[in-house]
Amino acid sequence: MLTIALPKGALLKDSICLLKSIGLDFSGFLEPTNRQLQMPDPTGTARAFLVRAQDVPVYAEYGQAQLGIVGYDVLKEKRPQVAQVMDLKFGRCRLSVAAKRSSHYQSALELPPHSRVASKFIHCAHEFFAQLDLPVEIIPLYGSVELGPITGMSEAIVDLVSTGRTLQDNGLIELDVLFESTARLIAHPLSYRLDTYRLHHWIEQLRSVAVV
Amino acid sequence: MIYQPPTGARDLLPLDVAQKCWIEQHLQQVFHRWSYHRIITPTLERLDTLMAGGAIQPETVIQLRDAEEAVLGLRPELTASIARAAVTRMAGVTYPQRLYYNANVFRRRQDGFNGQHEYYQAGVELLGGSGLLADAEVILLLADCLNSLGLKHWHLILGEAELTRSLLAVFPVPLQEQVRHCIARLDQVALEALPLSPELRARALALLNLRGNPAAVLQQVASLDLAPAQRSVLNNLKSLVELLGPVPLTLDLSLIQTFDYYTGLIFEVVSEADTGARVLGQGGRYDQLLGLYHPQGQSIPGIGFCLNLEDLHQVLLPTQLPQQTPVSDWLVVPESSQAIAAALAHAQQLRTDPLLRVEIDLLSRPQEFVREYARLRRIAQIAWVDAQGSSVVEPTSPD
Repeated sequence: MLTIALPKGALLKDSICLLKSIGLDFSGFLEPTNRQLQMPDPTGTARAFLVRAQDVPVYAEYGQAQLGIVGYDVLKEKRPQVAQVMDLKFGRCRLSVAAKRSSHYQSALELPPHSRVASKFIHCAHEFFAQLDLPVEIIPLYGSVELGPITGMSEAIVDLVSTGRTLQDNGLIELDVLFESTARLIAHPLSYRLDTYRLHHWIEQLRSVAVV
Repeated sequence: MIYQPPTGARDLLPLDVAQKCWIEQHLQQVFHRWSYHRIITPTLERLDTLMAGGAIQPETVIQLRDAEEAVLGLRPELTASIARAAVTRMAGVTYPQRLYYNANVFRRRQDGFNGQHEYYQAGVELLGGSGLLADAEVILLLADCLNSLGLKHWHLILGEAELTRSLLAVFPVPLQEQVRHCIARLDQVALEALPLSPELRARALALLNLRGNPAAVLQQVASLDLAPAQRSVLNNLKSLVELLGPVPLTLDLSLIQTFDYYTGLIFEVVSEADTGARVLGQGGRYDQLLGLYHPQGQSIPGIGFCLNLEDLHQVLLPTQLPQQTPVSDWLVVPESSQAIAAALAHAQQLRTDPLLRVEIDLLSRPQEFVREYARLRRIAQIAWVDAQGSSVVEPTSPD
């Protein structure tokens, strides 16, 4: 059966809404009482897994899900071997470098060499500072990264920004944007090549309804 | 302390070995029926030998140094070694050479943890054969291998690297590599973002999705504005598809690598299990490779494939593979310490039948324990041997 990996969190609602518009209803995942990790759609044509965003490309890479929806930021960080089928345009945000407003830095280049940078996106952060030729120590953190500069553990952070409210509320200021991210439709490469479970039929359906 | 194998290495216990041998023997019988000969090349090669073809990155090779400080590597695949051996050690042989191998290979995993380092592969190289018939032979041989294993749901994804490469020539030179990268990685999002004219973008997207039923794909390519050389490759491909007959086939002209290794056919064989599709093996034509190893740069065409035994093992485990190690047919028991010589002689006598497995009971223990042991090990018959050499046969009672 066609299997789709869906990300918990910010992209879930839009993802379910999109799939509903092509006749695949997984809105059960949105019930506050939902404890299910997988569910079939009511017509029995497909099923969905509900997993952490970072795990969506894992299921698509190994082929347990033929399709998945995940942010470009996760793809850029984890570099999974999956087919990037479509930019779904929702879930727009950016991966940025931020520091304390009181530090008066204007850009990431002004950070002192060998400063510490806290981030969940260790590969992206490493690559960015390597391109700047600025040696920094990357400290992996997996939540509330803003606490890094607040507590003095790190000089700066690399984190996702959508509205900028969280940064502002925590006295941080955005210095540079690494890249913009939106939700992507990804596919298991072999299933994509073999058109397993009429994958391309569903992809075409999604193309016809996706916001252009 | 507890001695552990290094990360990524594994022990194959008797049952694993019995299952692995089952696969290997079936493949070997097919290779022999197609008149292929086994070649054994060294596990260690010079790193430059391994990398000459351009398909291997040094960081994926497990490296060592010899006493002269030359950099050596554990082979990550066999084709480089066979190409080297063929052009340097087999000078003067007549072609074609039909070779097969069954060997371990080593890969260093980039992501660090829990990746297996040692794998087993079985495959063939057909050297000195070019053209339609050689291509057809190798793919039909591959199909014969999979069918002889009793594999149910397999599928061949077939591409043509030369044709695909020539179709990329319409794109502006500075963008060609990027277009190729996007197609190889099936990255439609990045492809759409490249600065191409609308016509070229449509062409690139068509190329990314140029796959499916062979007849339809061939027709689609034929409708393009092709040079005579491209037409001739296409006609060959058409004839090949006809020769392959019942092979379950997807023609996929987006199947291309980001480096120039294959010069013609390129293919992957895939199992379509309910738990997800997986690649069981891969191969293709490499007409330039042997020239890289030849002292005078003389090229000899080649085509081959390899099957990944671990992947075959996983797929075949539930249905085809033996679920237990072979049991002994006889348990020979000396009834006293004076009967040991007679028991050894009796066992040896039984072993003159090459199909029988005969074991000797090592422990002097009461008869009911011997019977219990034989029953647990599912040994069919017990031979009680006394000091005079006379024996009493007792069939083991089933559970």
